[in-house]
Amino acid sequence: MRAIYFKELKSYFYTFTGWLFTAVFLALASLIFYLNNIMPRSSDIAPFYSMMSYVWMLLTPMLVMRLMAGEKRLNTDSLLRGAPLPLPALVAGKFFAACTVLLMAILISLVYPLMLSAYGRVYPAEVLTATLGFFLQGCAFIALDMMVTTNLGSTVSAAALSFGVNLFIWLTSLLSAGPGVPPLLAGMVSRVSLYQRLMPYLSAQFSLANTLFYLLFCLGMLSLSVLMAHLARTRRT
Amino acid sequence: MISMEKASRRYGQFEAVRDISFTARAGEVVGLLGQNGAGKTTIMNMLVGVLTPTQGRVLVDGQDMALHPLQARRALGYLPEIPPLYPEMTTQEFLVFCCQIKQVHRGDIARHVEELMTLADVHQVRHQLIGRLSRGYRQRVGLAQALCGDPAVLLLDEPTAGFDPMQAVIFRKLIRKLASGRVIIFSSHLLSEVQSVCDRALIIHQGELKLDHSLRQDTQDGHFRVRLRGSSPRVLAQIRQLDSVRRVRQVEGPHTQDLNLLVEASTDGSFQTQLFTLLSGLNAPLMELSPLSDSLEALFLRVTAQETQSA
Repeated sequence: MRAIYFKELKSYFYTFTGWLFTAVFLALASLIFYLNNIMPRSSDIAPFYSMMSYVWMLLTPMLVMRLMAGEKRLNTDSLLRGAPLPLPALVAGKFFAACTVLLMAILISLVYPLMLSAYGRVYPAEVLTATLGFFLQGCAFIALDMMVTTNLGSTVSAAALSFGVNLFIWLTSLLSAGPGVPPLLAGMVSRVSLYQRLMPYLSAQFSLANTLFYLLFCLGMLSLSVLMAHLARTRRT
Repeated sequence: MISMEKASRRYGQFEAVRDISFTARAGEVVGLLGQNGAGKTTIMNMLVGVLTPTQGRVLVDGQDMALHPLQARRALGYLPEIPPLYPEMTTQEFLVFCCQIKQVHRGDIARHVEELMTLADVHQVRHQLIGRLSRGYRQRVGLAQALCGDPAVLLLDEPTAGFDPMQAVIFRKLIRKLASGRVIIFSSHLLSEVQSVCDRALIIHQGELKLDHSLRQDTQDGHFRVRLRGSSPRVLAQIRQLDSVRRVRQVEGPHTQDLNLLVEASTDGSFQTQLFTLLSGLNAPLMELSPLSDSLEALFLRVTAQETQSA
């Protein structure tokens, strides 16, 4: 897993993907920071992370599209599948590499709360809790997108499908909160919504249940990814 | 050792490969021959474990590929038709990565990578990005990755594609060198290449193994063509009486003044010794003594043409 992790991490920055992701992330973060904090002269960081949480919908496909589909495009999946490398280690190595790039971008974006602290009152615990939730949510999107793109052979298809699934998740979350939705259904959607689960973190509440939810969600998606890769090996046409 | 036991592979209703069985042992170079779409790549993919047979099994060094894939893959090196390379890596970085995923001991990786680069002759491009290498160099780097971890079984799918004629000759010599102590399975559509490099040819046609032909069997089977200048029937009778001779048949040849014989004899070299001794005593000039060969091309055409006609 170590070898895959470091290879993927290097590849992100040997190619434009990692740089592009970081650049777009920081550009959007700057814009959102300006709109939420600079313009209204507010030191409340929660709206910043609340709005940033929608950025994953656009950006995680960029990180994920080359992870599995890129291997097939280059025919390097035959190298990885022919090596004595367990599928879970392969999937986990790739997942952690993508999460590391995501974490690096988030850490750079901590410059905004630092800037705020120079001019207003910022509560470090509030920032850290929101950052943790934001990071866990991003990881969950990566795991979801990895699962849906496991057996794709084109990076463009992988990006499009990931974005489509992320959009569906967002719309489901949005519509379930709307009028006319049966309370039972709305409650169920809210329980599994990647957006709803972020809310407590934005209120500076460290929620063990939500942390476990995100971690189990990632584990479940990665397990499905391993299963799908395994099935493709036995049923590939 | 690597073997396939009654392996079949279906894609939906289409049976790409049917009931393939063979065993290849250390030191053997086995050529996998077939027309496009015959099932060579499917067989290669099953041997390397990328595809699981729908029936039958693959054994690598005694390990069932389906039951113990990791142990089986430790003994395998694979070079697919399109070499699996990361264009953003340098040659050296890529080989280090390959050693890591093939679980070469960390302390041995630097030395092993040097050995691989020497073997594949890619030292001069060690710091170059793979994406900028020529096709021939990419193929060599691909071969180097297949040799990572010193595998007991080497699977090469159309390995000389992209080589110029001189590189192909060097590559074939390298294959023969690599064969000592390991099994090499070599897929190619170039009959001459298989004939010159391989010990055995497996001819695949329409998903079935049609012929398992030893390319060294000419001498193993002990069939020889013998031509004697103007020899008498007495010489023929004495040849028939040699201990090492099983059968002698007189045939017509292009040289009508000579005695043309097809001799079935033992293969331990005693036939040649006894024949030379006999003929020198009888003062009968020997014009030709050669093992009988049935060209691979003729065999291939016969096997594939028969099937096509019957279909």
